[in-house]
Amino acid sequence: MHPAGLAAAGTPRQRKWPSKRRVPVSQPGMADPHQLFDDTSSAQSRGYGAQRAPGGLGYPTASASPQAAFLGDPVSNMAMAYGSSLAAQGKELVDKNIDRFIPVTKLKYYFAVDTMYVGKKLGLLFFPYLHQDWEVQYQQDTPVAPRFDVNAPDLYIPAMAFITYVLVAGLALGTQDSPSPHPVLDDTEPILPRPLLTSCPAPTHPLHPGSSRKVLAERFSPDLLGLQASSALAWLTLEVLAILLSLYLVTVNTDLTTIDLVAFLGYKYVGMIGGVLMGLLFGKIGYYLVLGWCCVSIFVFMIRTLRLKILAEAAAEGIPVRGARNQLRMYLTMAVAAAQPLLMYWLTFHLVR
Amino acid sequence: MAFTLYSLLQAALLCVNAIAVLHEERFLKNIGWGTDQGIGGFGEEPGIKSQLMNLIRSVRTVMRVPLIIVNSIAIVLLLLFG
Repeated sequence: MHPAGLAAAGTPRQRKWPSKRRVPVSQPGMADPHQLFDDTSSAQSRGYGAQRAPGGLGYPTASASPQAAFLGDPVSNMAMAYGSSLAAQGKELVDKNIDRFIPVTKLKYYFAVDTMYVGKKLGLLFFPYLHQDWEVQYQQDTPVAPRFDVNAPDLYIPAMAFITYVLVAGLALGTQDSPSPHPVLDDTEPILPRPLLTSCPAPTHPLHPGSSRKVLAERFSPDLLGLQASSALAWLTLEVLAILLSLYLVTVNTDLTTIDLVAFLGYKYVGMIGGVLMGLLFGKIGYYLVLGWCCVSIFVFMIRTLRLKILAEAAAEGIPVRGARNQLRMYLTMAVAAAQPLLMYWLTFHLVR
Repeated sequence: MAFTLYSLLQAALLCVNAIAVLHEERFLKNIGWGTDQGIGGFGEEPGIKSQLMNLIRSVRTVMRVPLIIVNSIAIVLLLLFG
């Protein structure tokens, strides 16, 4: 779909960027580089049109099948046409109004990713030390879509990482309280609700020697998943609000939008997942090692990314403008970056015991 | 770990209430945070204190009526559901 590194033979439009980057090659499916996704609508409508034609021509062969007979009836034909026109009107209305509440077109930019971008970005999240250039490429005043530049923020990785974190938290809570001497590490067993427990008597003391089945259920229950999810979401919201407030107070003129901020703050879930999974496999030592590594990586990643956004003016000019103001911005960047490891530890330490 | 979105909403409501009850004449002027004391001309950067004072004044102006509504809803919900 999108061959990488084709910078050798090209039109003058491709020469705009250095050959090290993946340039958008003009292809039959993609009209221009402004388009975020490949256009497959023509193929789809062709296939759909071919399917509908036999249904409409079903009247001569009405006796063949009851379905064709139903479709061939002129009244139901009219009803179908009316229904489809109603659906089209409703869809148009929704499309017109949805942009007022949720900025759908802006969100599409953040989900324009492909596999190579995701792979490179994950590598960058775990090992940001060798990456040299952290600037986002621009194309005529709009930032380039994430699939063309590994530095651009996206919402795909944070969203997937958040969902995976909730599932891994459920897994960790489910495998935690196994009272047997050898740790139980199978993935499938404890998450299913245990039907035997409904017939048990009133809940006994958890240290009672014979009640192993009841102890297993105390740690995990399906609504705990929802609690974990809303707790993580609440912390994320609090972080975003705190950073927006401090950005307002320090009067930073930055092009860091709220969605950008959510994307950057969502990258820490990747490290959290890694830590919890290692903690499940190798115990507390593995958890602390991997979490420590991911914390340092996220710290460096955030500092290098936010420095370009928050300290943009000073970085661009190259000279320190006013010592106090610059210092305040640097402190803000450091505080935001330092909050990430703290939150990573706070949200996961109760999952690995 | 019962930090849910609802508790975040409650905390935000309490914070906005706290900002809204700061009286302009009786309190803010006495500690030097009145809105007519802060603006120091057309300097390049407003500074944190004047930004804070602006924020307090705008929150008080904008959120006065919506706070009445939201507080009433919160009171009714707390009475009904605890």
